[in-house]
Amino acid sequence: MTSGTLTPPRSKGRPPAAPRPVRSRRRLLLAPYLFVAPFYVVFAAFGLYPLVFALQLSFTNWKGAGEARFIGLENYTYLLTSEEFWSSLGNSAVMWLLIVPLQIVGGLAAAVLLANARLRLRGMFRVAFIAPFVTPLVAMAQVWIVAFDTDYGLVNHLLNLVGLPDIDWLQSTAWAKPTLALLFLWKTTGFAIIILLAGLQAVPADVYEAAALDGASRKRQFWSLTLPLVRRSIAFLVVIQTLAVFQMFAEPYVVTQGGPYGSTTTGGLYLYNHITASDLGTGAANSFLLVLLVFALSLLSVRLLRSRDE
Amino acid sequence: MTSQTNESKSRLPAGQERRSRRSAGEEGGGGRRTSLSQPRPGPFQYLVLGLLAVVFVYPIWWAVSSSLKPPTDIVRDPLSFSLGSATLDNYRAMFDDVPIGTGFVNTVLVVAVKGAMTMFFCPLAGYAFAKYRFPGKNLLFGVLMLTLMLPTLVLVIPLLLEMSELGWVNTYQALILPGSIDAFSIFWMRQTIAAVPDELLDAGRVDGASEFGIFARIVVPVIRPGIAALGVLTAMNIYNDFVWPVVAVNDESHQTLQVVLSTLAQNVTGNRVGADFATVWGELLAAGSIAMLPVLALFVLLQRHFINGILAGSVKG
Amino acid sequence: MSRPSVPRRSVLRGALGAGTLAVAAGPLAACAPGSSGSEPRKLAGTPGASAKGEITIWNRSGDLFKVFDAAIDAFRKAYPDIKVNHQAVDIDAKLANTLISGTDLPDGSFWDDAKIGGQAEHLYDLTDLIAPYRDKTSAYKLSVNTVGGRIYGVPWDLDPGLLWYREDLLEDAGVDPAGLKTYDDLLAAARSLREKNPDARPIHMEKDPFLGQLWLEMLAGQQGTSLADADGKVRLDSREYRNILGWIRDAVDDDLVTHTEYLKQADLAALENGQQALVPWAVWWSFAPQQLLKKGKGKWRAAPLPAWSPGGARSGAMGGSSFIIPAKAKNPELAWLLYEFLCFKEPGYSAVYGPGEVYPDGLTTSVPSYGPARRPDRPLFEPVAALGGQNLWKVAVNAAETIPPAAPIPAWWAKSVDYLGDNLQRLIEGKMAPDDVIDDSTKKIQRNLVDRA
Repeated sequence: MTSGTLTPPRSKGRPPAAPRPVRSRRRLLLAPYLFVAPFYVVFAAFGLYPLVFALQLSFTNWKGAGEARFIGLENYTYLLTSEEFWSSLGNSAVMWLLIVPLQIVGGLAAAVLLANARLRLRGMFRVAFIAPFVTPLVAMAQVWIVAFDTDYGLVNHLLNLVGLPDIDWLQSTAWAKPTLALLFLWKTTGFAIIILLAGLQAVPADVYEAAALDGASRKRQFWSLTLPLVRRSIAFLVVIQTLAVFQMFAEPYVVTQGGPYGSTTTGGLYLYNHITASDLGTGAANSFLLVLLVFALSLLSVRLLRSRDE
Repeated sequence: MTSQTNESKSRLPAGQERRSRRSAGEEGGGGRRTSLSQPRPGPFQYLVLGLLAVVFVYPIWWAVSSSLKPPTDIVRDPLSFSLGSATLDNYRAMFDDVPIGTGFVNTVLVVAVKGAMTMFFCPLAGYAFAKYRFPGKNLLFGVLMLTLMLPTLVLVIPLLLEMSELGWVNTYQALILPGSIDAFSIFWMRQTIAAVPDELLDAGRVDGASEFGIFARIVVPVIRPGIAALGVLTAMNIYNDFVWPVVAVNDESHQTLQVVLSTLAQNVTGNRVGADFATVWGELLAAGSIAMLPVLALFVLLQRHFINGILAGSVKG
Repeated sequence: MSRPSVPRRSVLRGALGAGTLAVAAGPLAACAPGSSGSEPRKLAGTPGASAKGEITIWNRSGDLFKVFDAAIDAFRKAYPDIKVNHQAVDIDAKLANTLISGTDLPDGSFWDDAKIGGQAEHLYDLTDLIAPYRDKTSAYKLSVNTVGGRIYGVPWDLDPGLLWYREDLLEDAGVDPAGLKTYDDLLAAARSLREKNPDARPIHMEKDPFLGQLWLEMLAGQQGTSLADADGKVRLDSREYRNILGWIRDAVDDDLVTHTEYLKQADLAALENGQQALVPWAVWWSFAPQQLLKKGKGKWRAAPLPAWSPGGARSGAMGGSSFIIPAKAKNPELAWLLYEFLCFKEPGYSAVYGPGEVYPDGLTTSVPSYGPARRPDRPLFEPVAALGGQNLWKVAVNAAETIPPAAPIPAWWAKSVDYLGDNLQRLIEGKMAPDDVIDDSTKKIQRNLVDRA
């Protein structure tokens, strides 16, 4: 789910210079519109149109067949007063806590190690870290099912080898979320490392050299030079991972179907469950609530991570 | 997203200027640094990185190697693997069970067409946003950035209804058109193209090239590494896409690989309870491995493009 | 018969629209799904033996498909001019979508009983056609697929619940299987088994929430009740459900329960090593001794379920499927002809249940819903070697006879597993009391499913 949302952390520092019109003014005016038109045509047809339709649906009780009745805000009030809705968000929030801080801290540590110019085998490490990111999620989710099976899975087999007891990974409310979080971490941390590495390497070497000459300790260099400069990359990662975690769907869908006891029913899966129940009006309303939440969360994280001097 | 864009407009860390002139295909700047400020990594660092690498790669290795084991061994002894007892039984059973060949052909088709659309239209639109000033540009760009925020799931139901209205359920159009020109790729290409010097374009204008001609003959050759990286990332994303294809297609002849895979998983958890577990797991692992190998191979072959694509996209901005 | 699958299956049931969206049309007029709710289509007349044409029939994949393939061959002999395309399809994943989108429809399909009610709108009303056979067809099966007094799914298999037990272990513990007449007797037997073997946790209770709820409904159906009454009202808060849940709690409190998922590895292990010896489950459990168990093969037997009160019904139905004809089918009459042949005609049903290539002893995972096909003295399948040569047919059809009629299965049944099914698990894990299971499930089903239906 993270794939496809690789927005780069920095946007262009300087607005692009417009070309000076050399030839026919009219053509210049038309050309850029023609160039961007295909996107808006496709978006209007397969994005905006269904979106407006979804908005309408969210005010009805439509079940996919038969008459749809306008019911005002009922779907929204139902959701906002529904234990399940809030627990789906709660599940997502826990997943967020399990995933994002660990991924940022761990990813940054790995990136700092990788950024060292004198590191051998750098390319090999990079390939190894990013490999999970390119594997199909459905396939790996199935591997997770097999590997984390309580009675016959690889992981418990390993635990037993070092004398630890079996853990009910996917069938206990305590472990199911961490097990899914692990899948998410495994799959996307390589991507985070690359992004952070890019941020680190954008820190010009002469800055470090100057700092080294000034006698700044390595630790101080990290806190006062490196961290502020990768703050943008971190902010970027936090935003896209927040989006991804709150919309997380495929992992629980394939691995746990939301169980046990709904403990892995994430925001995304709960939304999907309305669809399978043909409760399309509620599903649409749920979508919009989720969009609002995700939007607010991204704004919040951007704000929190903005450095003081900005 | 938009706020992020605005916020970052004015700030440009020192040295960014210099870096942005490097080509997208180049490796990150580590090599350029004087070794003065960099300590030689100790064994501890290698150990940490090595362990991490094992954690990242082992599940893939385990899945692929287990898929070659006799089914009962997967359950009885998940750790062992010997080439001597390798077997293709799981693959045979899986091929008998699900139309993975059809899924593969469909996926290749969708990747090819949808990928080609992305690789043509997105740089073109990115070019317009990077190099033209035209009325409504900011508004259009704002809309573009907003669409990045939309979760796929919001659109699933209404989009499906729309497909049904159009009679497109179970068609390739339904798999290909929605999302074929995506905002992220345009944004990325805009960042890439912005780094192309205006003088080059002006030279083209002086020579009398058409606006499209400038794009095709001047811009595209310069940003080729960026387009290659876009292609690799896009192909991977389409290949791995799952939510929409599951919904849009219910007929076997149009299923993509990921849909076939999920059907197999459902068969295992649903209908075939009671079947011999080991066999079922063997099939799952075989199917997963088959689906993984093409992307992994593509990635290992083109990893420079891939990683540099991400690096370029994030550094150049 | 095959295990009704995980709920995700009804994916987007209804998502492709065949209704009207009566919302202010605005820019979406074109998008509002087409024709408005049409009158339910009735299928009345059927063609004779000279019928001609081509039909597509969907069925589940797997062994059962092969069994039907053979039976359809018998149909082809009877009606040489009808071409039958018999297709193995993941029905749960596809049928609902296909019904609503109306494209590439089969002419007929087998489907889980619990799924049919919700799709009545897209199916032929088969009430008139089944009329001549009604008297002789299981009342239970007729009742479950009735919507508004009309029948949209015609009965296929009947799946009586039985008590599966380890004959050898019961004998060792001095328990006479014939004496297991009530559920209290069952608890007593379990205690005796544990006295003999301290590791024994003799009674199986299901860990999968969906199957667990299906099992609970079997125990309720045995007492003539079910989750919802004929008007769709939740009726969990009843003496019958309290009986069941209290009994479960007693069994759990006494540590008499093996809590595992149906025939998964852990379950199989507990069945083989003597930990489990009493499995109240549908007739389709016969699959286990025949196909999966090795050590325990030949040691299991079937008996009628105990009764909830002395003299009460000795069985209830657990699962089952029916035959439906999509309202947009091209050749509905011919599809009916096939169903009629397989269900009501002797060459048809004996081809399905009788000994064949796939199952040399015959198909033992269900019994016919049609009375004349279900006579104790006229077995369709052979005594089962894996049950020590027991005449399973006789046990199963006698049990089937006692299944009380039920109420239609509500369209939201599968979704209610999130509430009742989960709470049942909490009860079996000792984390919830019977009264709380009833109150909490009722409240949530009412709020999330009934009120919003």
